[in-house]
Amino acid sequence: MNGKLGKGLLVILFGVLLIFAWHLQANDGKAQGEKHPDVDFSISCTECHQEVTPEIVAQWKSTKHGMMNFGCYMCHGDGQVEFKAKPDTDNCLNCHTGEPVDASKGGNLQCFSCHKNHNLKFHQ
Amino acid sequence: MGVTRREFIKTTAAAAAAASIGTTLLPGGVKPLFAENDMEWHKSVCRFCGVGCGVLIGVKNGKVAAIRGDKFNTINKGHLCVKGFYLHKIIYAKTRLTHPMIKKNGKFEKVSWDEALNFVAKKFNEIRKAHGPDALAFYGSGQAETEETYMANKLFKGCIGTNNMEGNPRLCMASAVGGYLTSFGLDEPAGTYEDIEQAEMFMLIGTNTAEAHPIVFERIVRHKMKNPNVKILIIDPRKTPTDQVADLHLFPKPGWDLAILHAMARIIIKEGYADEQFIKDNVVFKDNKKNLTYEQYKQFLEKFTPEYASKVSGVPVEDIVKAARMFGQAKTAMSMWTMGINQRTRGVWANNLITNLHLLTGKIGKPGCDSFSLTGQPNACGGVREGGGLCHLLPAHRVVKNPKHREEVAKVWGVPVSNIQPKPGKHTVAMFEALNKGEIKGIYIMCTNPAQSLPNASKYWKGLKEQFVVVAESFFPTATTKFADVVLPAAFWAEKEGVYGCTERRSQYMPKVLEPMGEARWDAFILRDLGIRMGFKKEFEKYKTAEDIWNEYISLTKGRDLDLSGATYRRLKKERGLRWPVPSEDHPGTYKRYVKGDPIFDELSEEKKKGRWIYFYGKPEGKAVVWARPDKGPEEPTDEEFPFALSTGRVLEHWHTLTMTGTVPELNRAVPKAYVEINPEDAKALGIANKDQVIVETRRGQLKIEARVINRPKKGTLFIPWHWEEWMANILTIDAFDPGSKEPEYKVCAARIRKA
Ligand code: SF4
Repeated sequence: MNGKLGKGLLVILFGVLLIFAWHLQANDGKAQGEKHPDVDFSISCTECHQEVTPEIVAQWKSTKHGMMNFGCYMCHGDGQVEFKAKPDTDNCLNCHTGEPVDASKGGNLQCFSCHKNHNLKFHQ
Repeated sequence: MGVTRREFIKTTAAAAAAASIGTTLLPGGVKPLFAENDMEWHKSVCRFCGVGCGVLIGVKNGKVAAIRGDKFNTINKGHLCVKGFYLHKIIYAKTRLTHPMIKKNGKFEKVSWDEALNFVAKKFNEIRKAHGPDALAFYGSGQAETEETYMANKLFKGCIGTNNMEGNPRLCMASAVGGYLTSFGLDEPAGTYEDIEQAEMFMLIGTNTAEAHPIVFERIVRHKMKNPNVKILIIDPRKTPTDQVADLHLFPKPGWDLAILHAMARIIIKEGYADEQFIKDNVVFKDNKKNLTYEQYKQFLEKFTPEYASKVSGVPVEDIVKAARMFGQAKTAMSMWTMGINQRTRGVWANNLITNLHLLTGKIGKPGCDSFSLTGQPNACGGVREGGGLCHLLPAHRVVKNPKHREEVAKVWGVPVSNIQPKPGKHTVAMFEALNKGEIKGIYIMCTNPAQSLPNASKYWKGLKEQFVVVAESFFPTATTKFADVVLPAAFWAEKEGVYGCTERRSQYMPKVLEPMGEARWDAFILRDLGIRMGFKKEFEKYKTAEDIWNEYISLTKGRDLDLSGATYRRLKKERGLRWPVPSEDHPGTYKRYVKGDPIFDELSEEKKKGRWIYFYGKPEGKAVVWARPDKGPEEPTDEEFPFALSTGRVLEHWHTLTMTGTVPELNRAVPKAYVEINPEDAKALGIANKDQVIVETRRGQLKIEARVINRPKKGTLFIPWHWEEWMANILTIDAFDPGSKEPEYKVCAARIRKA
């Protein structure tokens, strides 16, 4: 009897812990939706993505960002300290307030609303 | 604040599209792009490379929160490379040094500033008294501000009385200085970045511009995209990201490119691309011993057939011919080079031979034409070359050997002229050699990391271990602080004001926007206070602000070729830098030297200017020199025992010894570790696979490192990025140096490689 009760309590406790953990996770945007899959941190983003998403790397490389080697980490974070699967556009403004693009003139628009894909082509 | 219907439709449509391709809008919907109303922006300059990009520092709640390219700065027009992009993060690195420390019983202990400075002053005075002033030395940096180097110069050359005052620009720019002085009679380029957009052709030799000078590369790319007829010639033993825009790439064996440059000159003359009138009016010819006639120079060139140059360099004959024609046929041409040319035992000669091509074709002094040396560090030109921070120099392009120069400087410094020795002190390699031998017993190292950055580095650890070493640094630990007896915390960029002078003769002001971290202090004031404690109160107590120091410095530039008298703080705070000569406050600065618009040219007598649109006023009769230099190869050519030529260099994402970029997670993520690049054919022959651990060995040391099998280095060559202490490439490099410039040959030595 005691053993059964003990087991039952354990199951409930485990359940509560599970819900608590899920809740914690659900409240943490990073952990829920923005966690980079486990990676080998001894190699660079591009080295790995060259293998796993070669078409994205090729797209990126075909642009001036690729030519200047503005790596994945500049929009998506380093993947360890910070990871943004869906990047915001704050960083774009670090460079694009002059020529040829002045993003500050975009008003309330977000850069990626119009600049699509990893080649960031306008309206495509 | 509402969103207009048009914006709403746009953004919702965009959101749907974004969801399907994996990019999306910010959670929480639309956010205005400029939401930083409470951010204060301050105009400044990038802390990293010699390009000198303008930045805006964003300060919020007393902290530096953001950085942005300065769109009003004509160097970068708002753009930044990946390093500049993360510069603001470095201020808050965990490795910031925040307290003075003295090593006691082998361990660093926190001490007060008083204790630290009194201790250093006492030790330096003891050494000076017992062994003379030349037992002391200073080793500075092309990253220090002009004001900081100026104070060190005064303390060591003017007060202590030793010319043992050097800086790391000796290791990167000295050959360019030697090249400009011997070709034109004056240091630093005639042209500026403005020539980029006017050039029809670029010769990029010994430069991986895309990674070492990214914003210059960006300007070249942009120019070529707009003007597809622009031609780009690359001469480099290694294929690099710069190749993305190459029309022709010559791959010489490392250290064997002098013959190519002579062969190009020969073809240019033979095929009628030379500007004979320009040569007649503006050029003289010389070899290492005497003046030559044009005919004698042509005779000298006869040896350098394309076939000969091909045999020496390994570059196909037809490519050498094509390269010469490309240079000859273009109406305007700009050459750019950096360490691949300078860090050589014949670096000065290599510099001369590049300039020869411009002088023979008259492609100098005109828009879109220049022989333009790219500087590695942000203030190597401003602080050290112009400021006189090397052992043979005094401020404002003066030399210690010249009695008039000594007098002029001593007067401004308020010291007896006899304090300044007429004999140059020890150049960098000799200085660290003297430390090893115990001839130098005390050294002050500021803003640099020689224990890792010297060539054949481990050889010089002995002296650093044995002598009294003071290191003023913003970061701790570094390879050099390990050997220090005293470390002094230095204020970092944005925590101090001062001036940087970049590649194109442009001096730019940097503001102080926050207090130094912890107890850190500004280097110039650390030196001032040390000077006072060493007994030079009268000489140093007058400096209360950075502007005091700058004003004194620019007073010394009055009437010199680098006249900065018009570049007052008042102006520099407002303007995006000024390019010297800028002789008065109402002068706009100088786009091009030696021609109309250059105030020094404009003031020349009518007699001198008669019939001349260009006058190289650093040389007699205003004539520049075309040099007939022998085509010597590297100091340590490859042989059977060490069959590979090893080269080292930078990657885009990192800077020097990683003290700064190593603290940025994103940049570490981009390039997490060192590697040795090896050509696939060589790797196959040696049974080395990609990512294998290998041993790279030279006559000086060996390194275990990961192999990167890649079609970048030419067959028979290896390349290692030099940034990491853990994989210290300078254990391998050679400390042989150019006899003229004393710059070491980092770029070539003989090596072997095997699987670990
Ligand atoms: S190119 Fe040089 S100066 Fe410009 S942002 Fe990059 S590191 Fe800074």
